[in-house]
Amino acid sequence: MTPEEFNIELYWSLIDIVNGLLTGSVIGGYYAMISIGLAMTFGVMRLVNLAHGDFIIVGAYLAVVMLNFLPVSPFFTLIIVVPLMFCLGYVLQRVLINHVSVQAMERKGLSTNYGLMAPILVTFGLGIFISHLLLGIFESDARQLKNSLAFSAIRISEDLNISLLRFIFFVIGVIILIALHLYLNRTHAGRAIRAASDDAEISPLMGINTAHVYGLALGISMAIAGAAGVMIGMIRTFQPFDGPQFLLIAFGAVIIGGLGSIVGSLVGGILLGITQVLAGTYFGPSAQLVGGYMLILFVLAFKPQGLFSR
Amino acid sequence: MSISVSKRGFFAEPGRGGKRPLLTISELSAYYGQLRALYDIEFQVMPGEVLAVIGANGAGKSTLLKSIVGMMNRGKTAHITGTIDMRGRRLERLNTEKIVDAGVTMVPEGRRLFPRLTVEENLMTGAYLARCRGKAPEKLEEIYDMFPRLGERRAQIVNQMSGGEQQMVAIGRALMSDPQVVLFDELSLGLAPSIVDDIYVKVGQINQAGVTCIVIEQDMKRALAVSNHVLVLLEGAVVLEGDPRELDVDQVTSAYFGSDIGRASA
Ligand SMILES: Nc1ncnc2c1ncn2[C@@H]1O[C@H](COP(=O)(O)OP(=O)(O)O)[C@@H](O)[C@H]1O
Ligand SMILES: [Mg+2]
Repeated sequence: MTPEEFNIELYWSLIDIVNGLLTGSVIGGYYAMISIGLAMTFGVMRLVNLAHGDFIIVGAYLAVVMLNFLPVSPFFTLIIVVPLMFCLGYVLQRVLINHVSVQAMERKGLSTNYGLMAPILVTFGLGIFISHLLLGIFESDARQLKNSLAFSAIRISEDLNISLLRFIFFVIGVIILIALHLYLNRTHAGRAIRAASDDAEISPLMGINTAHVYGLALGISMAIAGAAGVMIGMIRTFQPFDGPQFLLIAFGAVIIGGLGSIVGSLVGGILLGITQVLAGTYFGPSAQLVGGYMLILFVLAFKPQGLFSR
Repeated sequence: MSISVSKRGFFAEPGRGGKRPLLTISELSAYYGQLRALYDIEFQVMPGEVLAVIGANGAGKSTLLKSIVGMMNRGKTAHITGTIDMRGRRLERLNTEKIVDAGVTMVPEGRRLFPRLTVEENLMTGAYLARCRGKAPEKLEEIYDMFPRLGERRAQIVNQMSGGEQQMVAIGRALMSDPQVVLFDELSLGLAPSIVDDIYVKVGQINQAGVTCIVIEQDMKRALAVSNHVLVLLEGAVVLEGDPRELDVDQVTSAYFGSDIGRASA
């Protein structure tokens, strides 16, 4: 190898790594959006929401419906999809989940094992119901939210660029996470959510209605899931049964980052994204998923509480 | 105002000292599932007084306070019967949030702070109710005046604090809801005697400011010293009630342990 050849080799491996870090981070931003809702409902009310991935897909289909009536840029659908998903989440929690929750099972005097299992089964069933409902309405054709930015890229250097859409989603994801952080720390309702999550039995003594607070928590979770769904729909195609694969990503980011920390979700998502992209670069596309799962297993084996949990 | 419904309501016989009672508890029984923890409890709470509830472990003191703040309305696992009347308003069917909104709150046994929240966040949760939010900044300053230590540590996570400091946060948090009545469950549990002295000085100040207090206190002498009225519970029933200046310690002790003298005078 001549010195010149060596330099070219070095240059390309550096490009690979930088590309992995950049693209991985940008993907991680939207992984964080996918996972934060799952982490939040578990952190606040011990709800393992197996329908979380399906809610993401519902967000994408709501945008499809809206675009049928209003041919605007898919970005504008967020204005309707996000509040609508919040309302759906709030109502769902109050009319269904609150009655089968861990807390409801405790009130009925049932054993803790049963209490944990009941809401898991209900959300599992809910996920199946939602995906079949979507199939019934939209059929199994792959959909996409068409937009003019799909093929634009931000050029960083001659050989290095990142997808403009992914970058925009990363920025939106970070803004949402900051907004959520401020909401949880600076507002009465946000503090009430955290208080109920710390001690649901005592928080009513502060005048906090836990049923309402849990409604807010699932509402927020679904609002963010809906936003993530719209973004996913702009990047790739989706079908009614795509929910579970996002649930897996969400579990991954949550396991890596640790529950109950917004920063943890972001960093967990970014680490997962970087690992996937680098594994794909070095070991071929099929290694992407395996690489991600290896990281998850690693964290589970050595720091099961997650890298960022206190 | 429903005069006919409440047995000891508005125009009913006046309570102690000819005053109209703030709280009237009648035929109150409490159950944990099948287990009965309170038996037909009857008493009145006068506005502005300190009522001490004493009794051995398991006598039902905490259950009594939990019943008043609606924490025994839990369907199959816990429920109450009887009536709790606050100046004509019936509390026994209300949720805890509504009772707190009506002006009755509790400092629970074991403090029960929100462990992952800071001192100030814990205090602010106490001002969650709509009627309290506007006044929250002033209230917060009042609490910091009363407990300067908390002002210095407002940004600290509470589970890193000493027991005494945590008790101050728990008291402050209850006061943030601007209550008329505060129930204190075993304030002195696990605290050094000098700290307990300080805490009871604060309870005195709170009472002086017009807040009616019900305290559960293991230390009988202290209970008699701080209160205007005492209630002795034994196995879920009231066995002795009276003015601590008129009761003698032997009488209270025998009621506490359930010897015959205590029962006879009840
Ligand atoms: N959560 C509960 N479930 C079942 N029984 C309980 C519960 N809490 C208290 N008890 C029972 O109720 C009775 C009164 O308890 P408690 O009110 O805590 O007494 P005290 O506060 O006077 O020590 C006791 O017999 C106790 O065992
Ligand atoms: Mg007790």
